[in-house]
Amino acid sequence: MDTHNDVKLREFLKRGAAKADGELRRDLWPAMARRMEQSERRVPWFDWALLGALTASLAFVPRIIPMLLYHL
Amino acid sequence: MDVQERFARGDRDAFEELFRQFQGEVFRWVMRIVRDRGIAEDLTVESFWKMYRAHARFDPSRAFGAWARRIATNLALDHLRRAKRETALVDEPVDVASRGNPALQREMRAEIAAAFEKLAPKLRVVARLSLIEEVPHREIAEALGISEAATRVRLFRATRILREELKELVESHGHA
Repeated sequence: MDTHNDVKLREFLKRGAAKADGELRRDLWPAMARRMEQSERRVPWFDWALLGALTASLAFVPRIIPMLLYHL
Repeated sequence: MDVQERFARGDRDAFEELFRQFQGEVFRWVMRIVRDRGIAEDLTVESFWKMYRAHARFDPSRAFGAWARRIATNLALDHLRRAKRETALVDEPVDVASRGNPALQREMRAEIAAAFEKLAPKLRVVARLSLIEEVPHREIAEALGISEAATRVRLFRATRILREELKELVESHGHA
């Protein structure tokens, strides 16, 4: 490894690129709470699949409707 | 039962407590990698969301901070892989010698940003954290889930590329 050149590169980067300002200026909890709420409200894909299957059954085999109503 | 144990069992209040305690630390770490305040905030929230969903896999006998940093690093790395354009490496001038010449500063920043952009994301992360943020190799290795030796290898490869890309600029500034 070219140590001399590495030292020069490090020095150059130190002069040319500042460290990131990592101070958090606002509380992120409200954004976190929103993220959690959104996800809790989201209907799982399995429920959509079930609803789709039920709708398809009712459309293609309408005679099951009275049977279904009877059981409800 | 302490807060980490309660979190591991899925307690939302414990999660909020940990979030408030560690949000600054996670944000600071992500900011060092992505160098964009808005993206760092989004990735911080996304990281905690991932932690919340993975609560059952968290071992409460281990440090929450290190676990959080590891998850945040992976998400930041994914972001770098997806992002097309390199974020500027500097927010404000730091070179005292060239402070009087903004054009020179701009050129220097642009060249450095372009050189970093040429690095693969996994090399870029190590280069940023080590060469610019001066984070110890042990901490980088821990956050990336690799050995210190692997971290040194990545840094060596990144340095070689950067040295080549910035050769002329480094030389001209060295003689200035």
